[in-house]
Amino acid sequence: MSLLRTVSQKRAFRNILANNRNRLYNMAYAWTHDPYLADDLVQQTYYKALRSQKQLRDIGAADAWLFRILANCLTDHYRARREFLSDDELIIIEKRTPETEAEEDQLAQRVRLAVQRLPLPQRQVVTLIDLEGFAYATVAQILDIPVGTVMSRLCRGRRALRELLLDANSKMEVTSPPMMRRIK
Amino acid sequence: MNKDDIISDEQLNAFADSELDTEEENRLFNLSEDSPELSNRMCEQRRLKEMVRHAYREVPQPRRRFERKGQGNRLFVTAAAAVILLAIGGVAGWFGSNSLNATPNPVRIAGVADQVVVAEPEPYLLHVTSGDPQRMRAALQRAEQLLSTADGNQAHRVEIIANEAGLDLLRSDVTPFGDQIRALYEQEVLFFACTKAIERLEEQGIHVRLVPEADTHYSALDRVVLRMNEGWTYEKI
Repeated sequence: MSLLRTVSQKRAFRNILANNRNRLYNMAYAWTHDPYLADDLVQQTYYKALRSQKQLRDIGAADAWLFRILANCLTDHYRARREFLSDDELIIIEKRTPETEAEEDQLAQRVRLAVQRLPLPQRQVVTLIDLEGFAYATVAQILDIPVGTVMSRLCRGRRALRELLLDANSKMEVTSPPMMRRIK
Repeated sequence: MNKDDIISDEQLNAFADSELDTEEENRLFNLSEDSPELSNRMCEQRRLKEMVRHAYREVPQPRRRFERKGQGNRLFVTAAAAVILLAIGGVAGWFGSNSLNATPNPVRIAGVADQVVVAEPEPYLLHVTSGDPQRMRAALQRAEQLLSTADGNQAHRVEIIANEAGLDLLRSDVTPFGDQIRALYEQEVLFFACTKAIERLEEQGIHVRLVPEADTHYSALDRVVLRMNEGWTYEKI
Protein backbone atom coordinates (compact mmCIF):
# COMPACT_ATOMS: atom_id res chain seq x y z
CA MET A 1 0.00 0.00 0.00
CA SER A 2 2.75 2.42 0.94
CA LEU A 3 4.51 1.62 -2.35
CA LEU A 4 1.32 2.45 -4.24
CA ARG A 5 0.96 5.67 -2.28
CA THR A 6 4.55 6.64 -3.07
CA VAL A 7 4.03 5.92 -6.76
CA SER A 8 0.81 7.93 -6.90
CA GLN A 9 2.42 10.82 -4.99
CA LYS A 10 5.33 10.83 -7.42
CA ARG A 11 2.91 10.86 -10.33
CA ALA A 12 0.92 13.70 -8.77
CA PHE A 13 4.13 15.63 -8.21
CA ARG A 14 5.22 15.20 -11.82
CA ASN A 15 1.78 16.27 -13.02
CA ILE A 16 2.11 19.40 -10.93
CA LEU A 17 5.48 20.12 -12.46
CA ALA A 18 4.16 19.49 -15.96
CA ASN A 19 1.13 21.71 -15.45
CA ASN A 20 2.87 24.64 -13.83
CA ARG A 21 5.59 25.43 -16.31
CA ASN A 22 3.69 28.26 -18.02
CA ARG A 23 2.58 29.81 -14.75
CA LEU A 24 6.12 29.79 -13.42
CA TYR A 25 7.51 31.13 -16.67
CA ASN A 26 4.99 33.98 -16.79
CA MET A 27 5.85 34.91 -13.22
CA ALA A 28 9.58 34.71 -13.86
CA TYR A 29 9.08 36.90 -16.92
CA ALA A 30 7.04 39.41 -14.92
CA TRP A 31 9.89 39.63 -12.41
CA THR A 32 12.74 39.88 -14.91
CA HIS A 33 11.26 40.93 -18.28
CA ASP A 34 13.96 38.82 -19.86
CA PRO A 35 12.71 35.67 -21.65
CA TYR A 36 16.08 33.91 -21.45
CA LEU A 37 16.58 34.60 -17.78
CA ALA A 38 12.96 33.64 -17.07
CA ASP A 39 13.50 30.34 -18.89
CA ASP A 40 16.70 29.71 -16.91
CA LEU A 41 14.95 30.42 -13.64
CA VAL A 42 12.10 28.03 -14.40
CA GLN A 43 14.53 25.27 -15.28
CA GLN A 44 16.49 25.84 -12.11
CA THR A 45 13.23 25.77 -10.19
CA TYR A 46 12.33 22.41 -11.72
CA TYR A 47 15.76 21.03 -11.07
CA LYS A 48 15.65 22.09 -7.42
CA ALA A 49 12.06 20.90 -7.04
CA LEU A 50 12.93 17.46 -8.38
CA ARG A 51 15.92 17.20 -6.10
CA SER A 52 14.05 18.25 -2.99
CA GLN A 53 10.62 16.79 -3.67
CA LYS A 54 10.79 14.81 -0.41
CA GLN A 55 10.63 18.10 1.47
CA LEU A 56 7.15 18.70 0.11
CA ARG A 57 4.94 17.04 2.71
CA ASP A 58 1.60 18.38 1.52
CA ILE A 59 1.04 18.03 -2.21
CA GLY A 60 -1.75 20.62 -1.90
CA ALA A 61 0.87 23.22 -0.99
CA ALA A 62 2.94 22.48 -4.10
CA ASP A 63 1.97 25.73 -5.85
CA ALA A 64 3.33 28.02 -3.17
CA TRP A 65 6.33 25.75 -2.70
CA LEU A 66 7.27 25.98 -6.39
CA PHE A 67 6.88 29.76 -6.45
CA ARG A 68 9.03 29.98 -3.35
CA ILE A 69 11.77 28.02 -5.09
CA LEU A 70 11.42 30.34 -8.07
CA ALA A 71 11.81 33.40 -5.83
CA ASN A 72 14.89 31.85 -4.24
CA CYS A 73 16.38 31.11 -7.65
CA LEU A 74 15.96 34.77 -8.61
CA THR A 75 17.58 35.88 -5.37
CA ASP A 76 20.47 33.48 -6.00
CA HIS A 77 20.80 34.81 -9.53
CA TYR A 78 21.15 38.41 -8.39
CA ARG A 79 23.45 37.40 -5.53
CA ALA A 80 25.72 35.57 -7.94
CA ARG A 81 25.94 38.74 -9.99
CA ARG A 82 26.13 40.95 -6.89
CA GLU A 83 22.91 42.58 -7.93
CA PHE A 84 20.90 41.71 -4.85
CA LEU A 85 18.43 44.49 -4.45
CA SER A 86 17.17 46.02 -1.29
CA ASP A 87 13.70 47.48 -1.02
CA ASP A 88 14.91 50.94 -1.95
CA GLU A 89 16.78 49.96 -5.05
CA LEU A 90 15.32 50.21 -8.49
CA ILE A 91 16.03 47.94 -11.37
CA ILE A 92 14.88 48.61 -14.86
CA ILE A 93 15.43 45.79 -17.29
CA GLU A 94 14.40 46.19 -20.87
CA LYS A 95 15.42 44.02 -23.77
CA ARG A 96 12.93 45.13 -26.35
CA THR A 97 13.20 44.45 -30.05
CA PRO A 98 11.06 45.76 -32.92
CA GLU A 99 9.63 42.26 -33.33
CA THR A 100 8.46 42.00 -29.76
CA GLU A 101 7.05 45.50 -29.86
CA ALA A 102 5.01 44.65 -32.92
CA GLU A 103 3.71 41.53 -31.25
CA GLU A 104 2.48 43.16 -28.10
CA ASP A 105 -0.45 45.46 -27.79
CA GLN A 106 0.04 48.99 -26.61
CA LEU A 107 -1.73 48.61 -23.30
CA ALA A 108 0.22 45.49 -22.36
CA GLN A 109 3.44 47.31 -23.23
CA ARG A 110 2.54 50.29 -21.08
CA VAL A 111 1.66 48.11 -18.13
CA ARG A 112 4.82 46.02 -18.43
CA LEU A 113 6.97 49.11 -18.62
CA ALA A 114 5.28 50.42 -15.51
CA VAL A 115 5.75 47.11 -13.68
CA GLN A 116 9.41 47.08 -14.71
CA ARG A 117 9.87 50.43 -13.07
CA LEU A 118 8.85 49.03 -9.71
CA PRO A 119 11.61 47.90 -7.35
CA LEU A 120 11.90 44.12 -7.49
CA PRO A 121 10.36 43.45 -4.04
CA GLN A 122 7.27 45.46 -4.95
CA ARG A 123 7.14 43.89 -8.40
CA GLN A 124 7.18 40.41 -6.90
CA VAL A 125 4.37 41.13 -4.48
CA VAL A 126 2.17 42.85 -7.05
CA THR A 127 2.58 40.11 -9.64
CA LEU A 128 2.15 37.20 -7.23
CA ILE A 129 -1.14 38.72 -6.10
CA ASP A 130 -2.41 40.02 -9.43
CA LEU A 131 -1.26 37.26 -11.78
CA GLU A 132 -1.65 34.25 -9.52
CA GLY A 133 -4.25 35.50 -7.08
CA PHE A 134 -2.25 34.28 -4.09
CA ALA A 135 -3.48 35.30 -0.66
CA TYR A 136 -1.31 37.74 1.28
CA ALA A 137 -0.36 35.00 3.73
CA THR A 138 0.80 32.75 0.87
CA VAL A 139 2.85 35.56 -0.67
CA ALA A 140 4.44 36.10 2.74
CA GLN A 141 5.41 32.42 2.76
CA ILE A 142 6.71 32.46 -0.79
CA LEU A 143 8.89 35.51 -0.26
CA ASP A 144 9.68 34.71 3.37
CA ILE A 145 8.54 38.08 4.66
CA PRO A 146 5.87 39.16 7.19
CA VAL A 147 2.31 39.74 5.95
CA GLY A 148 2.58 43.39 6.98
CA THR A 149 5.54 43.78 4.62
CA VAL A 150 3.50 42.19 1.84
CA MET A 151 0.76 44.77 2.42
CA SER A 152 3.09 47.75 2.53
CA ARG A 153 4.98 46.65 -0.62
CA LEU A 154 1.71 46.06 -2.39
CA CYS A 155 0.48 49.45 -1.35
CA ARG A 156 3.56 51.26 -2.60
CA GLY A 157 3.68 49.21 -5.77
CA ARG A 158 0.07 49.82 -6.70
CA ARG A 159 0.35 53.50 -5.85
CA ALA A 160 3.27 53.79 -8.24
CA LEU A 161 1.42 51.85 -10.94
CA ARG A 162 -1.62 54.03 -10.53
CA GLU A 163 0.49 57.14 -10.97
CA LEU A 164 2.16 55.71 -14.05
CA LEU A 165 -0.88 54.21 -15.70
CA LEU A 166 -4.05 55.86 -14.54
CA ASP A 167 -3.23 59.46 -13.72
CA ALA A 168 -4.13 61.54 -16.73
CA ASN A 169 -1.03 63.70 -16.70
CA SER A 170 1.54 60.96 -16.44
CA LYS A 171 1.08 58.83 -19.53
CA MET A 172 4.17 56.77 -20.10
CA GLU A 173 6.19 57.08 -23.24
CA VAL A 174 6.24 53.62 -24.74
CA THR A 175 8.37 54.41 -27.74
CA SER A 176 11.51 55.12 -25.76
CA PRO A 177 12.14 52.03 -23.70
CA PRO A 178 14.72 52.22 -20.92
CA MET A 179 17.99 50.37 -21.05
CA MET A 180 19.11 48.00 -18.34
CA ARG A 181 20.05 50.11 -15.40
CA ARG A 182 20.48 49.78 -11.71
CA ILE A 183 20.00 52.80 -9.53
CA LYS A 184 20.84 52.81 -5.84
CA MET B 1 -13.78 64.44 7.78
CA ASN B 2 -14.82 62.92 4.50
CA LYS B 3 -16.12 59.36 4.78
CA ASP B 4 -13.67 57.86 2.30
CA ASP B 5 -10.75 59.61 3.97
CA ILE B 6 -10.91 56.90 6.57
CA ILE B 7 -10.47 54.18 3.95
CA SER B 8 -6.77 53.65 3.47
CA ASP B 9 -5.06 52.33 0.36
CA GLU B 10 -4.23 49.18 2.31
CA GLN B 11 -7.93 48.59 2.96
CA LEU B 12 -8.76 49.22 -0.68
CA ASN B 13 -6.10 46.74 -1.72
CA ALA B 14 -7.44 44.15 0.68
CA PHE B 15 -10.91 44.76 -0.75
CA ALA B 16 -9.69 44.34 -4.34
CA ASP B 17 -7.80 41.17 -3.37
CA SER B 18 -10.72 39.61 -1.46
CA GLU B 19 -8.76 39.71 1.77
CA LEU B 20 -11.48 41.43 3.81
CA ASP B 21 -14.05 39.57 5.84
CA THR B 22 -17.71 39.89 4.83
CA GLU B 23 -18.50 42.52 7.45
CA GLU B 24 -15.68 44.78 6.35
CA GLU B 25 -16.59 44.29 2.70
CA ASN B 26 -20.18 45.30 3.42
CA ARG B 27 -18.97 48.41 5.19
CA LEU B 28 -16.94 49.44 2.15
CA PHE B 29 -19.82 48.77 -0.23
CA ASN B 30 -22.13 50.88 1.93
CA LEU B 31 -19.65 53.72 2.16
CA SER B 32 -19.05 53.66 -1.58
CA GLU B 33 -22.77 54.12 -2.27
CA ASP B 34 -22.64 57.54 -0.68
CA SER B 35 -19.22 58.49 -1.95
CA PRO B 36 -18.55 58.65 -5.69
CA GLU B 37 -14.92 59.36 -4.90
CA LEU B 38 -14.51 56.19 -2.88
CA SER B 39 -16.42 54.26 -5.51
CA ASN B 40 -14.03 55.61 -8.09
CA ARG B 41 -11.00 54.57 -6.03
CA MET B 42 -12.38 51.05 -5.67
CA CYS B 43 -12.98 50.80 -9.41
CA GLU B 44 -9.47 52.07 -10.14
CA GLN B 45 -7.97 49.46 -7.88
CA ARG B 46 -9.80 46.64 -9.61
CA ARG B 47 -9.01 48.09 -13.02
CA LEU B 48 -5.33 48.21 -12.16
CA LYS B 49 -5.37 44.55 -11.16
CA GLU B 50 -7.03 43.60 -14.43
CA MET B 51 -4.52 45.65 -16.42
CA VAL B 52 -1.59 43.84 -14.80
CA ARG B 53 -3.20 40.46 -15.38
CA HIS B 54 -3.87 41.32 -19.02
CA ALA B 55 -0.30 42.51 -19.61
CA TYR B 56 1.19 39.14 -18.67
CA ARG B 57 -1.40 36.81 -20.11
CA GLU B 58 0.83 36.18 -23.10
CA VAL B 59 4.48 36.94 -22.67
CA PRO B 60 7.43 36.67 -25.08
CA GLN B 61 9.16 33.30 -25.18
CA PRO B 62 12.93 32.91 -25.56
CA ARG B 63 14.05 32.52 -29.14
CA ARG B 64 15.96 29.31 -29.63
CA ARG B 65 18.79 30.04 -31.99
CA PHE B 66 20.42 26.64 -31.75
CA GLU B 67 18.59 23.53 -32.76
CA ARG B 68 19.62 20.13 -31.58
CA LYS B 69 22.35 18.86 -33.84
CA GLY B 70 22.02 15.20 -34.65
CA GLN B 71 19.56 14.76 -31.84
CA GLY B 72 16.62 14.54 -34.22
CA ASN B 73 18.10 11.55 -36.04
CA ARG B 74 19.01 9.81 -32.83
CA LEU B 75 15.58 10.42 -31.39
CA PHE B 76 14.00 9.13 -34.59
CA VAL B 77 16.12 5.96 -34.49
CA THR B 78 15.32 5.48 -30.80
CA ALA B 79 11.62 6.04 -31.42
CA ALA B 80 11.62 3.65 -34.39
CA ALA B 81 13.43 1.02 -32.34
CA ALA B 82 10.94 1.47 -29.52
CA VAL B 83 8.01 1.01 -31.91
CA ILE B 84 9.55 -2.15 -33.39
CA LEU B 85 10.29 -3.56 -29.92
CA LEU B 86 6.77 -2.78 -28.79
CA ALA B 87 5.36 -4.52 -31.86
CA ILE B 88 7.57 -7.58 -31.30
CA GLY B 89 6.69 -7.56 -27.62
CA GLY B 90 3.00 -7.30 -28.40
CA VAL B 91 3.06 -10.21 -30.85
CA ALA B 92 5.20 -12.31 -28.53
CA GLY B 93 2.92 -11.46 -25.63
CA TRP B 94 -0.14 -12.47 -27.62
CA PHE B 95 1.39 -15.82 -28.60
CA GLY B 96 2.73 -16.27 -25.08
CA SER B 97 -0.60 -15.64 -23.44
CA ASN B 98 -2.35 -17.99 -25.90
CA SER B 99 0.06 -20.81 -25.24
CA LEU B 100 -0.08 -20.21 -21.49
CA ASN B 101 -3.85 -20.31 -21.59
CA ALA B 102 -3.85 -23.47 -23.67
CA THR B 103 -1.38 -25.42 -21.51
CA PRO B 104 -0.88 -24.14 -18.02
CA ASN B 105 2.75 -24.85 -17.30
CA PRO B 106 4.24 -23.66 -14.00
CA VAL B 107 7.80 -23.86 -15.31
CA ARG B 108 7.05 -21.61 -18.25
CA ILE B 109 5.12 -19.19 -16.08
CA ALA B 110 8.10 -18.93 -13.78
CA GLY B 111 10.29 -18.32 -16.78
CA VAL B 112 8.08 -15.47 -17.98
CA ALA B 113 7.99 -13.98 -14.50
CA ASP B 114 11.77 -14.10 -14.28
CA GLN B 115 12.05 -12.18 -17.51
CA VAL B 116 9.67 -9.53 -16.25
CA VAL B 117 11.54 -8.83 -13.03
CA VAL B 118 14.97 -8.41 -14.65
CA ALA B 119 15.58 -4.68 -14.27
CA GLU B 120 17.68 -2.58 -16.57
CA PRO B 121 20.80 -1.18 -14.96
CA GLU B 122 20.40 2.25 -13.51
CA PRO B 123 21.08 5.03 -16.03
CA TYR B 124 23.36 7.89 -15.00
CA LEU B 125 23.58 11.51 -16.02
CA LEU B 126 26.90 13.14 -15.18
CA HIS B 127 26.94 16.93 -15.16
CA VAL B 128 30.17 18.87 -15.64
CA THR B 129 30.08 22.58 -14.84
CA SER B 130 33.71 23.19 -13.98
CA GLY B 131 36.55 24.05 -16.31
CA ASP B 132 39.01 22.41 -13.93
CA PRO B 133 40.73 19.58 -15.88
CA GLN B 134 40.77 17.41 -12.75
CA ARG B 135 36.99 17.63 -12.51
CA MET B 136 36.66 16.82 -16.21
CA ARG B 137 38.93 13.82 -15.82
CA ALA B 138 36.90 12.72 -12.79
CA ALA B 139 33.71 12.81 -14.88
CA LEU B 140 35.26 10.69 -17.63
CA GLN B 141 36.68 8.25 -15.09
CA ARG B 142 33.28 7.98 -13.41
CA ALA B 143 31.75 7.12 -16.80
CA GLU B 144 34.41 4.46 -17.37
CA GLN B 145 33.77 3.04 -13.93
CA LEU B 146 30.03 2.86 -14.56
CA LEU B 147 30.59 1.12 -17.88
CA SER B 148 32.87 -1.42 -16.26
CA THR B 149 30.38 -2.32 -13.54
CA ALA B 150 27.97 -4.23 -15.70
CA ASP B 151 24.77 -5.09 -13.92
CA GLY B 152 23.00 -8.25 -15.03
CA ASN B 153 25.31 -8.48 -18.05
CA GLN B 154 24.19 -5.02 -19.13
CA ALA B 155 26.26 -1.88 -18.81
CA HIS B 156 24.84 1.30 -17.32
CA ARG B 157 23.57 3.91 -19.75
CA VAL B 158 25.61 7.03 -19.24
CA GLU B 159 25.27 10.57 -20.50
CA ILE B 160 27.63 13.43 -19.82
CA ILE B 161 26.35 16.96 -20.09
CA ALA B 162 28.59 20.01 -19.96
CA ASN B 163 27.70 23.62 -19.38
CA GLU B 164 29.14 26.82 -17.95
CA ALA B 165 32.95 26.47 -17.74
CA GLY B 166 32.51 22.72 -18.08
CA LEU B 167 31.78 23.28 -21.75
CA ASP B 168 35.55 23.30 -22.27
CA LEU B 169 35.43 19.52 -21.92
CA LEU B 170 33.68 19.31 -25.29
CA ARG B 171 35.40 22.18 -27.12
CA SER B 172 37.64 20.61 -29.73
CA ASP B 173 40.25 23.38 -29.56
CA VAL B 174 40.39 23.41 -25.77
CA THR B 175 39.80 19.93 -24.38
CA PRO B 176 42.78 17.74 -23.51
CA PHE B 177 40.46 14.71 -23.38
CA GLY B 178 39.57 14.14 -27.03
CA ASP B 179 40.78 10.51 -27.06
CA GLN B 180 38.94 9.54 -23.88
CA ILE B 181 35.76 11.16 -25.17
CA ARG B 182 36.03 9.21 -28.44
CA ALA B 183 36.64 5.95 -26.58
CA LEU B 184 33.65 6.49 -24.31
CA TYR B 185 31.47 7.51 -27.23
CA GLU B 186 32.31 4.21 -28.91
CA GLN B 187 30.98 2.52 -25.78
CA GLU B 188 27.72 4.46 -26.26
CA VAL B 189 28.26 7.19 -23.72
CA LEU B 190 26.43 10.25 -25.01
CA PHE B 191 27.88 13.74 -24.70
CA PHE B 192 25.80 16.91 -24.65
CA ALA B 193 26.98 20.49 -24.85
CA CYS B 194 24.61 23.10 -23.45
CA THR B 195 23.55 25.44 -26.23
CA LYS B 196 23.01 28.30 -23.84
CA ALA B 197 26.62 28.05 -22.73
CA ILE B 198 27.64 28.08 -26.42
CA GLU B 199 25.48 31.13 -27.08
CA ARG B 200 26.98 32.97 -24.15
CA LEU B 201 30.50 32.35 -25.38
CA GLU B 202 29.59 33.36 -28.91
CA GLU B 203 28.04 36.56 -27.61
CA GLN B 204 31.47 37.31 -26.14
CA GLY B 205 32.98 36.82 -29.60
CA ILE B 206 34.34 33.35 -28.87
CA HIS B 207 33.70 30.92 -31.71
CA VAL B 208 32.85 27.54 -30.24
CA ARG B 209 33.91 24.36 -32.01
CA LEU B 210 32.85 21.10 -30.47
CA VAL B 211 34.31 17.61 -30.64
CA PRO B 212 32.37 15.54 -33.19
CA GLU B 213 30.99 13.30 -30.45
CA ALA B 214 29.17 16.18 -28.77
CA ASP B 215 25.53 16.72 -29.37
CA THR B 216 23.89 20.03 -28.64
CA HIS B 217 20.82 20.36 -26.56
CA TYR B 218 19.01 23.60 -25.89
CA SER B 219 19.81 23.67 -22.23
CA ALA B 220 21.80 21.56 -19.80
CA LEU B 221 19.19 22.10 -17.15
CA ASP B 222 16.43 20.97 -19.50
CA ARG B 223 18.32 17.73 -20.00
CA VAL B 224 18.90 17.32 -16.29
CA VAL B 225 15.25 17.92 -15.52
CA LEU B 226 14.16 15.51 -18.26
CA ARG B 227 16.46 12.72 -17.13
CA MET B 228 15.71 13.17 -13.44
CA ASN B 229 12.04 13.07 -14.30
CA GLU B 230 12.68 9.78 -16.08
CA GLY B 231 14.31 8.38 -12.96
CA TRP B 232 17.97 8.68 -13.98
CA THR B 233 20.58 9.06 -11.30
CA TYR B 234 22.10 12.51 -11.46
CA GLU B 235 25.65 13.25 -10.39
CA LYS B 236 27.23 16.67 -10.52
CA ILE B 237 30.96 16.28 -10.86
